[in-house]
Amino acid sequence: MMKPIALAVVLGLAALAVPYFGTEYALSFTMQLLVFMILAYSWNLIGGYTGYTHFGQVCFFGLGGYVGALLIQNAGMRWYFAVPVAALAGAALALPLGTAMLRLKGPYFAIGMFGLTRVLESLVLGFDSVTKGGTGLYLVPLDNLRPVYYALVGLAIVMIVGTWRLDNSRLGLKLLAIREDEQAADSLGVRTTRLKIGTFVVSAIAPAAVGALNAVYLGFIDPPTAFSPVMELTTIAIVLLGGMGTVLGPLVGAIVLSVVNELLWARFPEYYLAIVGTLLLLAVLYMPRGIVNLGMKRGWLPAGRSLFRQLAREGGRGRPPVAAPLVPDEAKRAEA
Amino acid sequence: MPITELLIGGLLLGGLYALMACGLNLIFGVMRVINFAHGELLAIGALSTVSLVAGFHFPFWSALLLVPILTAAIGLVMHKLVLQRLAGAPMIMSLLATYAISTILVNGAILTWGGGYRGLPGVLSGSVSVLGQNLSISRLVAFAVALGVSLAVWWVLEKTRWGRAVRSVSQAPELAEISGISIEHVRNTTFALGAAMAGLAGVLMAPTFASDPQLGVRFLIKAFAVIIVGGMGSYPGAIAAALLLGVIEVFGGYFTGAVIGSALLFLLMLAVLLVRPRGLLGVGART
Repeated sequence: MMKPIALAVVLGLAALAVPYFGTEYALSFTMQLLVFMILAYSWNLIGGYTGYTHFGQVCFFGLGGYVGALLIQNAGMRWYFAVPVAALAGAALALPLGTAMLRLKGPYFAIGMFGLTRVLESLVLGFDSVTKGGTGLYLVPLDNLRPVYYALVGLAIVMIVGTWRLDNSRLGLKLLAIREDEQAADSLGVRTTRLKIGTFVVSAIAPAAVGALNAVYLGFIDPPTAFSPVMELTTIAIVLLGGMGTVLGPLVGAIVLSVVNELLWARFPEYYLAIVGTLLLLAVLYMPRGIVNLGMKRGWLPAGRSLFRQLAREGGRGRPPVAAPLVPDEAKRAEA
Repeated sequence: MPITELLIGGLLLGGLYALMACGLNLIFGVMRVINFAHGELLAIGALSTVSLVAGFHFPFWSALLLVPILTAAIGLVMHKLVLQRLAGAPMIMSLLATYAISTILVNGAILTWGGGYRGLPGVLSGSVSVLGQNLSISRLVAFAVALGVSLAVWWVLEKTRWGRAVRSVSQAPELAEISGISIEHVRNTTFALGAAMAGLAGVLMAPTFASDPQLGVRFLIKAFAVIIVGGMGSYPGAIAAALLLGVIEVFGGYFTGAVIGSALLFLLMLAVLLVRPRGLLGVGART
């Protein structure tokens, strides 16, 4: 139990130290890493735990960015007020959307969110009297970016700790039950629809906040960067590479992919989409459980969820599961 | 009389949607996979048509044959190398796989053709008068071929032995296998056919619309709207919905302006998902 906390403290301290000791480059690298990490942790909630393919997270990122930027520019709001409002806007969009699409199972959700991103982008481009269309919005640059950086660090810590708590809770198990067999979960009394919509709304909050923070940090927002398909692809690749439905997966994946990103983006920008797409494809084919689950299998990390280990130690409740059912045979579900 | 003009314009657009959506629907039926790379097959079809006709001076009709063969080959490779291996995996894996393939294909198309728009001016140019409207020949040809091929494939599905095999695999894969149908063969051929239909739609659009590598996403969303409104897995539903949505898009764009018009089909799709999730002609959701 102490291990994750110790790791979090070390990483947290390292992240806090970067603005004081790191170079400008280290700071911008860490910023990018944090943005992707927060997006990945949010995606992990709906994609990893609940098992719904989410191709539209970037629409909350873009929405948050535009809400934040417009509030700062038109209403003269300070960024630390605009960012929470942007986060609320993300949740406000997610609630009706989730209600519409998550009542249905399977591919509808994937289609709907995929389409929504493009629709939102075209709306932002179209209402150019408000959003300045393709030219984008320019914000007055901040003198000191450290508070923005710390806000990102704080948000990342909230996401990691939140996921860790979720992973060891009944709620987390309910979400996993939805992923494994929604009908069975339903018949066991899990309120699947309500939980799915709730998870979806929660998973929309952080991306909207990050979108606003990113716009403040860059001092600029336009439709291609706000609703970037590259962002979407990278986030999904991070979660899949790291390990879907795990606490450490998005963290590991974000670090790995940020390094890959730094090495490739600078040298081969024109191949970037194809390279990350290939990585994603290879992960789907050969390592669908991700690095973290591979680590558990090889014994580098303690196997299973600590909640299960605790139950196993106590030895109560009939047959204690020693290893967690990470990704059992889901062939039936896929066909159902 | 703008009403007639809009109606005809909408139907002409709907024919292309039908061809694209039918291929997507066919693949969904037998594979239970939404092919997120379907739009890229269309874009590759359109762009390679431009290259063949404008670059290599092939006649346009030869593209009608060659390009679908190319996209069918791409589709077959996709299925053999990737999707076939994911047959027993959870649906999220095959969705992620087709999504990854679509980004790889977009990138490949940008590297091959550049990011800009390309058109085919002068191919099938000229116009004829129908119902007092001047219609360009390229759009009429596109409509006739697209709708004709969609209906022909429907006939094949309903009347031939192979079509019966496809329908049985999509309705009850286990029973189909017990009855001696090779599921692998059906899936291979269906995927190739669906990909060929997307490529053909690309060929047909090339003379009318300017094409770019990002074209796929825009059309894919419309094809999604079509199969959801028409009912997933329902072939006649997809054809009817394609024509209907083509008309709605053109009317919507005319009366509400381009901004709302572009979002209209999506909103319609959401409404159908909420009110009647199996679609207008859907045969019961099998999700």
